[in-house]
Amino acid sequence: MTDIHFSTTSVGSARLHVLNSKKFKTTTVVVLFEQELSEEKVTQSALLPNVLQRGTQSYPTTVQVKQKCDQLYGANLFGDVFKRGGRHFLQFGLDVANGDYLSERPALLTEGLQFLQEVLFKPVTSNDGFSSSFVNAEKKNLRQRIESLKDDKIRYAAQRLNEEMYKGEPHALYNYGQLRSLDAIDERSLYTYYQEVIQSCPIDIYCVGDVHPEEVKALFETQLGAHIGRQERPSVEALRNDQKVEQVNEIVERLEVQQGKLNLGCRTHVTIEDDLYPALMMYNGILGGFAHSKLFMNVREKASLAYYCSSRIDSYLGQVAIQSGIEIANYDQAVSIMKEQLEEMRQGNISEQEISQTKATLTNQIRERLDSAYGLIDFAHHTQQPTRKREVEQLLQEIADVTPQQIQEVAQQVELDTIYFLRDQGGIDGE
Amino acid sequence: MVNKIEHAQLKETLYQEKLPNGLNVFVVPKQGFQKTYAIFTTRYGAIDHDFQPPGKQRIRVPDGIAHFLEHKMFEQRSGEDVFQQFALQGAAANAYTSFTRTAYLYSCTENVEKNLTTLLDFVQEPYFTDENVEKEKGIIAQEIRMYDDTPDWRLYFGLIQAFYQQHPVKIDIAGTVESIYEITKEHLYQCYETFYHPSNMVLVIVGSVQPEQIIQLVAENQAKKNFTNQAEIKRFFEQEPDQVRTRRNDVQLAVGVPKCMFGFKERASFVGQKGDDFLRQELSTFLFLEYLFGQGSDFYQSLYDDGLIDEQFGYDYSLEDGFAFSMAGGDSSDPERLLARVEKEVPGFVQRGLDQTTFDRLRKKRIGSTLRLLNSPEWIANQYTRYQFAGTDLFRMIPLLEELTVDQVNERMREHVDFEQFATSVIKPSAQVSKE
Repeated sequence: MTDIHFSTTSVGSARLHVLNSKKFKTTTVVVLFEQELSEEKVTQSALLPNVLQRGTQSYPTTVQVKQKCDQLYGANLFGDVFKRGGRHFLQFGLDVANGDYLSERPALLTEGLQFLQEVLFKPVTSNDGFSSSFVNAEKKNLRQRIESLKDDKIRYAAQRLNEEMYKGEPHALYNYGQLRSLDAIDERSLYTYYQEVIQSCPIDIYCVGDVHPEEVKALFETQLGAHIGRQERPSVEALRNDQKVEQVNEIVERLEVQQGKLNLGCRTHVTIEDDLYPALMMYNGILGGFAHSKLFMNVREKASLAYYCSSRIDSYLGQVAIQSGIEIANYDQAVSIMKEQLEEMRQGNISEQEISQTKATLTNQIRERLDSAYGLIDFAHHTQQPTRKREVEQLLQEIADVTPQQIQEVAQQVELDTIYFLRDQGGIDGE
Repeated sequence: MVNKIEHAQLKETLYQEKLPNGLNVFVVPKQGFQKTYAIFTTRYGAIDHDFQPPGKQRIRVPDGIAHFLEHKMFEQRSGEDVFQQFALQGAAANAYTSFTRTAYLYSCTENVEKNLTTLLDFVQEPYFTDENVEKEKGIIAQEIRMYDDTPDWRLYFGLIQAFYQQHPVKIDIAGTVESIYEITKEHLYQCYETFYHPSNMVLVIVGSVQPEQIIQLVAENQAKKNFTNQAEIKRFFEQEPDQVRTRRNDVQLAVGVPKCMFGFKERASFVGQKGDDFLRQELSTFLFLEYLFGQGSDFYQSLYDDGLIDEQFGYDYSLEDGFAFSMAGGDSSDPERLLARVEKEVPGFVQRGLDQTTFDRLRKKRIGSTLRLLNSPEWIANQYTRYQFAGTDLFRMIPLLEELTVDQVNERMREHVDFEQFATSVIKPSAQVSKE
C-alpha cells in the first residue's frame, strides 16, 4: 500500500507527521495537545478550543475569523476534544483547498497555517485573561451542549453506561465536562489553564495532502516553531482499568421515551497493548460489529426485537459495549438473547463462515479508513499511543492470522459488568 | 457506447453508458483510493404512494411502503439475507429511502466485481413471502420508535408538516406503526414491478476501478436478464396550495434544551426546474442562506452571543421534484426570542441584499467546500445520482458557481424569503429524569 505512511520529524518539542498524498483536493492539518483526563481539567479542556476560535489579535471578532475562513476558499477551522486511552486530547485543525484546483491558484496552505498559528497562540486578551465576553458566551454554549446530551438517547445511554461502569474513575467523565465545574471557570482561570496547555502538553501535528514534507516542515517551523519552543513536554500517563467483575450491576433509568435503550458493558481484559488485540477485534466483529454478526442476526433478524443491535470496542479500556433499541416490554427476552450470544462466544460456537466474513469485513473497514485524511490521521495517532505499535499492514496480517482458539481465549476472559436500561415512566412496579 | 467526459480543472473523468434495457451507468475512477463505492438507485421514494403501473389500474399504497420494500430487498430465495454474501466478499452494504429515491449501495476494497454482481442481482431478484414480510414489521416498528425519540428528526419533520397541507412529503418516510401493519407481499410486488425497471434506475460507481471494464461487466449482467421495455409510470400527487398548513408546530419531548427550526416553503412556481436551472436555483439559494444564517454573518454572531443559538445551528435547502423549502435552526434556550428576532431582522437583510464583496467571499467558500466534498467517493456517487434525476450534472456545480452573479442571488433571495411562506417547528422540554 502506498500513500499511507507518515514521515515523522519535529518542530521544536512537537512531533510533526507528514503524509504526501495526491488523492485529496484539500490539505488537512491537525494539531493535538495531550492532556490528562481528570475531573479538574476536563471541562476547561472542553471549553478552550471554542474560546480560541472566537478571535485572534489580527481578527479580533468572530465574524472576522469566520470571514477569513471564507476568504481562504472555505477553509474549515475546527477545534474539539476527545478521550482516548484514559487521556484527553485537545484537537485543532484546518482543512484548506489545494490551490491547484482553483482558477486563481492561491497558496492557501501558507496563509492557512499563519491563520491557525494566530488562533492557537495569539488569542484576544485583556487584563491577563481571555476576552470575558468570549468566555461567557462559550460557557453558555458548552452548558447547552452538556444539557443536550440526553436529547440524543443513543449517545445518552452510551454515556450513562460508562458512568455506571467506571463510577468514580476518570473514564466515567463526559467528553465535554460537567456542569458543576463550569461556574468556577472565568476568563483569567481559563487563560492560566491555556498557558499550561500550550507550554507543557505534548503536541502532535499531522499534515495530509499533496505537499512536500521538507517544504511543509519549513512552513511549520516558521509559523509554529517559536511558539512551541524546545522545552520538554512530559507524556501524560495512560490510565488503565483492569479490575475483575464481582457482581453484574443492573441499572434502570426512566425518561419519557417511546423506545427502551438497552446497553450492556463487558470487561474483556484485553487492550490494544496486548498480543490478543487482533483476536479481540475479531471477537467484537463476530459478536456485534457487522450486519452478519450474532447480535444482529439473533436480536434483529431472528427475534425481530430491534432495529439496531451492535457492539463496539474501546481498545484502550478493553471494554466491549453492546447497544440496542427495543420495545420496553421485551427487556427480559432481549437481555437473555444477548447473554446467550456472549455464552455462544465463550463456548467457541463460531462457524468458519463467521470467521471468514469477519476477517474480510474487518480488513475492509480498516482499509477504507485510509481513504480519508482524518481516517489516516486517526490511524496514525492510534498507532502512536500505545507502547505496542502496529502499522496498518502488520495489523491486517495479525487479523488474517487470528485462530478460532485465540477468539475463544478472549471470549473466556469477557465478563459482563453492567446492564443499563433507559425506559419510559410507566409500569413502575413491573409489567 | 461508453461516453467519456473530462473535467480538467477538477481532474475528474466521467464514463457513461446507457444500456439497451434503459439502465444508465456512470463511473468516476478515483486514483489512489483503496475503496470503490457503488450505488444502485431507483427513482422511487416515500412520496410515490399513488400511481398507475403501465397497463394496469391506478393504486394507492400504505404509507411507508418504499422504505419497507427497501428492507425486504435484502431477503433472498435461499433464505439467507444478502448481507451474508457481501460480508464474505469483504463489502459493507447498506440502503436508504428518501422522499424521492431508494438506494442500495456497498463499499469495498477487494472483490469489486463480485460485489457489483451481487448488488445488481439482489436488487433485481425480489423474494417476498407472507412470513418474511410479517417478520419485518417488528423491526421497522422499532426503527419508527427510534425516530420518535430522536428530537432532531421530530423537529425537522415538524417543520415539513407545518409547510405541507396535501403533498405526500408530509408523510413520514417509514410510515407509522399502524400503516406498516397493512403492508402485504402483494403490495411489495406491485411497487417493485412498477418502479424497479432498469429504465427507472441509475447505477453510479466511484473508486478504484477500470471504467470500461466495469461497464462491460454491468452490460453483460444486464443482457442476461429479461426486461421488457416499460412504458411511462404515471405518478399522482395531491395538489399543493402555496400557503403553509400552519405557521407553527409545537411538540413536547424529553429534551434538555429546547429546539427551534424555521424556514420558507417554496411557491409552486419555483418548483420543478430541470437541468442547469435546477442547479442554479439550488446554488443561489444556498449562497443567500449563507449570507443570512452562515457563521460569517453578523446576524448569526449576534444570535450566538445572545445565547439564542449554539454552534449546532445550521441551515439547509431541499429542492426536489414537486416540493422545495429552506430551513434553519437547532438548539435554542429561547425559541420565542429567536423567532421574534428572525421575523424582525431578516427582512432588513433581504432588503439590503448582498454586496459584491460579500458575494465573492461566499462564492469562494462554496467552491472550496465543494472541492472538499469531492474527496469523498460516497458524496460523489450519491450526489451524482441526485443531480442525474434532476436532469443535470454534479460536475456542472463549480462552472455554474463561477458564472453566478450577485444580482441573480439577490433576486432569488427576494423571491424565496417571503414571510407569507414562513413556518416554524418548536420542541419544548417535558418530563424530568428519575433514577431507580
